[in-house]
Amino acid sequence: MSVVTRKLIAKELYVNRWFIVGGCVSGVVSVLIAATGKMGFNVGALTWLTTIIATGVMLGLYGIMNERKEHTLQFVLSLPLSIADYVRAKMLGLTACFLVVWLVSSGAALLLVFAKDTVADGIAPYTVLLCVFMLANFTVVLCGSLHAQSEALTSAVIVVTNMGVSIFMFTVAPLPGIEKYLSGPAPVWSSTFWTVLGCELAVLIIAFTLPFFLAARRRDFL
Amino acid sequence: MNDKHIDMRNVRKIYRFFTLDDVSLALEPGQIMGFVGPNGAGKSTTLRLLMGMNSPDAGQIRVLGHEIPEAQAVAKRDIGFVSAEMRLLPHTTLGWHMEFMKSIYPEWDGGYAATLVKRFNLRPEQNARSLSLGEHVKATLLLALARRPRLLILDEPTTGLDPVARHEVISELMDVLRDESRSILFSSHNTVDVERISDTITFIDRGRIVDSDNKEDFLERWRRIQLQLPDGVELPALPNIVKREVDGQFVTLTTNQFSAGLRSLIGPHVTHVHRMSLEEIFVANVMHHREARAQ
Repeated sequence: MSVVTRKLIAKELYVNRWFIVGGCVSGVVSVLIAATGKMGFNVGALTWLTTIIATGVMLGLYGIMNERKEHTLQFVLSLPLSIADYVRAKMLGLTACFLVVWLVSSGAALLLVFAKDTVADGIAPYTVLLCVFMLANFTVVLCGSLHAQSEALTSAVIVVTNMGVSIFMFTVAPLPGIEKYLSGPAPVWSSTFWTVLGCELAVLIIAFTLPFFLAARRRDFL
Repeated sequence: MNDKHIDMRNVRKIYRFFTLDDVSLALEPGQIMGFVGPNGAGKSTTLRLLMGMNSPDAGQIRVLGHEIPEAQAVAKRDIGFVSAEMRLLPHTTLGWHMEFMKSIYPEWDGGYAATLVKRFNLRPEQNARSLSLGEHVKATLLLALARRPRLLILDEPTTGLDPVARHEVISELMDVLRDESRSILFSSHNTVDVERISDTITFIDRGRIVDSDNKEDFLERWRRIQLQLPDGVELPALPNIVKREVDGQFVTLTTNQFSAGLRSLIGPHVTHVHRMSLEEIFVANVMHHREARAQ
């Protein structure tokens, strides 16, 4: 990895520092709210979901779309790097930004599941699946934003991925291998869990690696 | 070995509503080329192709001896690029940008950067978002110049600037030109700025290069000749006349190849021979080529 790529990854972490700090604080506060009782759990879960989704969307919009719209992309592309270097730095840099918020929020959520007696430990596999789904969802937003040439297309990707979260929750939770153990006293890592996780990881890997092969070969970046 | 700083040959770039067609440019070390064209002529497209931001559909581009876009990462180590459109990164200060550039370019000249900060009346602690257009241009110019690049590519850097900011930018560029090994490609539709700093001028219009020459030769070649023809006298067929305007007995000819021979061909009816400004040459040149293309 070139020095410029490394500097650009560090640049993403610096430029998006307030998103990261805000996302982490919001994620932890959401989990604390969720720990206050049944009503609090619902409110906290909603704000926790919103925090992770919004962080991903903001990073995609501000990190890629606005860079193009506000002509800061010209500044970045004038640096000694190729289009492939730029795509690599963008993918790694923005993913690193998201990972900080994701790790803190996901860690806090799992801590709540295992530490709080009022929350059944059986929900842990579903929580893991939801967290990984949102990570995969972010990589799809990132991949779409890097490929989309227009704001409208990027917005469409964001809308579809946001809808994806609701669809995921309503289709995965009722799966027999998941629903059966949700209220259980101990987590059960069923075959359904591993199948869904496998699908999520496949989407994540494809969405994460696709820009390295396609966007990095784009002939026109402005 | 090809030692040109820019060597662009027969480049074509096709967009849906615009085509850059058969563009060739050559910039020697130490040369300052003014790249002049009306809005939408293809100036920015050409410069982006040189920077590897876009790729040509046909033709070859070499910058500082490197193939573009393939070896753009290496070539751009020695290129300073400034565009009027370019903006600094949000949520950062100018000082942060200076540190960022210093960490990327080993040639970064901190002393010179500090001098430019003072000369341009900038504040390193100022947030990028709060910079005015003029300050943005001066800041990006500072970041490009303090790297001491061998080649400067400037895309309409004075567009939209007030006269004072324009003067500051042009003065700094003229200072840079004292280093004879550096070369500059300077695009603009402001011929006054181009005339001040360029030694070579290339005109582009509607995606095609219409003329390219030494500035002095341009100014020497082009003339507006006024004559008064007595009744019944007709002008002989004259070469190199790009425009002929007739108002009764008064005729105004514009030539792109003025010479003593042409003057003697016209005969004794010449009343005035005017030198033309670069702007007049630019407009006459573009209009002549548009008419020639239309025929």
